[in-house]
Amino acid sequence: MLLCDFHIHTRYSDGSVGLRRTVDLFGQAGFDVIAITDHVVNGDNPFGKLANRFKFSVTGESFKTYMSHIAEEAERAWDRYGMLIIPGVEITKSSFSSGKSAHLLLIDIKEFIPASWDYEKIFLEAKKQDALIVACHPHRTSDKTFVDTLFLWNNRDKYARYIDAWEIANRDDVFNVISLKKYPYIAGSDFHRVRHLYSWKSLLNCKKDMESIKQCIRSNWGVAITLFRN
Amino acid sequence: MVLFWIFGVLVFFGLIIYGLQIVAVRLALSPVRNREGHPILSQSCPPISVIKPLKGLEDNLFGNLESFCVQDYPEYEVIFSLQDENDPAYKVVRKVREKFPDKPISIVVERCHHGFNPKVNNLFPAYRHSKYPIILISDSNVMVDPYYLRTIVKPLDDPEVGLVCNLIKGIGGKTIGSIFENLHLNSFILGNICFLDRYLRIPCVVGKSMLMRKSDLEAVGGLASVKDVLAEDHFIGEKIRGQKQRVVISNYLINNVNEYWNLQKFINRHVRWGKMRWKIGGVKYLLELTINPVFTACLPLLLWGPTEKTLSILALVCLIKIIGDFYLGRSISTPTHPSVYLLSPIKDILMGVLWFAPLADDTVVWRGNRYLMGKDTRLSLCPERGGAWKTRIVEGIKAKIAW
Repeated sequence: MLLCDFHIHTRYSDGSVGLRRTVDLFGQAGFDVIAITDHVVNGDNPFGKLANRFKFSVTGESFKTYMSHIAEEAERAWDRYGMLIIPGVEITKSSFSSGKSAHLLLIDIKEFIPASWDYEKIFLEAKKQDALIVACHPHRTSDKTFVDTLFLWNNRDKYARYIDAWEIANRDDVFNVISLKKYPYIAGSDFHRVRHLYSWKSLLNCKKDMESIKQCIRSNWGVAITLFRN
Repeated sequence: MVLFWIFGVLVFFGLIIYGLQIVAVRLALSPVRNREGHPILSQSCPPISVIKPLKGLEDNLFGNLESFCVQDYPEYEVIFSLQDENDPAYKVVRKVREKFPDKPISIVVERCHHGFNPKVNNLFPAYRHSKYPIILISDSNVMVDPYYLRTIVKPLDDPEVGLVCNLIKGIGGKTIGSIFENLHLNSFILGNICFLDRYLRIPCVVGKSMLMRKSDLEAVGGLASVKDVLAEDHFIGEKIRGQKQRVVISNYLINNVNEYWNLQKFINRHVRWGKMRWKIGGVKYLLELTINPVFTACLPLLLWGPTEKTLSILALVCLIKIIGDFYLGRSISTPTHPSVYLLSPIKDILMGVLWFAPLADDTVVWRGNRYLMGKDTRLSLCPERGGAWKTRIVEGIKAKIAW
């Protein structure tokens, strides 16, 4: 089984650990696959404007640097640790209301997708790039310092057909509604700090290459979650 | 006023010892390389079984284990020993073995409950599995260079040498706990090991790296003789010395990688180590406080308040300690940023406070288990805290009577 984490932030957005150190941290801990998914924040509200102003977001301008740095680290991680690194982003559509907020992981993205686009346009563009679409922390979380992101869950009848998997567990939270609805699932750490290494992770029973991993998650065959602890 | 001068003398005594420690470190490290700058390596290379007991993820675990698989040594094996396949370290050792398929790497997973010391329990199956007459017991948080084995095996050319251990340097501090840990390893621990070895001829065995012949270990009772003590490294050394064999501290500095410790982990380790020294050294442990000049210099400040004299003494001692630790750090080539040494006095004050902990409590928590520790660090089971305080007192009295 491949030990995977598909939800990791670095200093390219609001993570506290740089990309290289993040890669080493996961590599030293024996991970097989990780996805770097820094925030791409919508700039059409005060949250987004602040995030863009203080560089807590990957932007259209920084996207190329971000991708090339990930590619460089991916090569190093493969040689050193035999660990596969997948480039991704977390489309962050934040609002003051939890019912209007949603975060989406786009894993194996190739071109920049702005968070200010409407949902359908984002989904279609992500599909065009053959990226994996994951709805992250889709229900109420234990973290009360941030607004919950319930938009996708509240509108699941409309959007579920676009979503490849839902986060059934995020860091310390488990969302049982995902299992009740029998949606495809994965788990991720939402890594921002070193201590977040110890959190919910995904286990995949497939080959260690991009296509097999995407196929495994989409079909949700051979997927398990584990609480990674020391 | 007399009391003030007594404290003054204690501070001065602490600084003198500290100065001697620095000299001892310099002398201990001097002949690591030959004139051409190459390490002095052993020409005879007997086969070695390297035993790595593992439990949980240490900082830099993959890199640490990998460094043992790329040794420039003709014949050796590496045995990774775990108690449980669910241990997160199991995944890491499998990846290390996959990376070096042509190296003689074994993974031994076997639950073993021979004694109370979890590290020794972990060593039993690997020891049985080892095939060479010389073994190296090495902790998982140790990283070495490719010429490590060739360097440390040299003293074993002398048949009178029964055990070779190493000096340690702490590297990689990225959080406050690990910065404190590395500062402490690179000043107090390193300084004291060299001081004891150089001036008092007391080799201080630290279990991070212990090279010995199986025959010598078995002659002193083998691993079974230390299965119930916490300081198994110290007692292996003592027993080997008891057989009229020498314990040598190699001047090869091994890297102890501590990157992401929190303060609690640092405190736990040093309370545990303090308790071990208290149980082994007895009254000699009391002397330790006097070789912490920063803490001793704080005491007049507490007694007489912040006067010009008390503040000046403290400031001067802190400055000397910062410069001294910086110099030691440079001597052992640690990649620590100079500004980090400004934290050295704070660490010393914390260590001064922690010094009192062993005097108050006989229990120790290690690798998730709580034990009662008796004389010579002998372990016995300790009921869990909370509720059964009467049982704990009775057990404590029993332990004291038993040893």
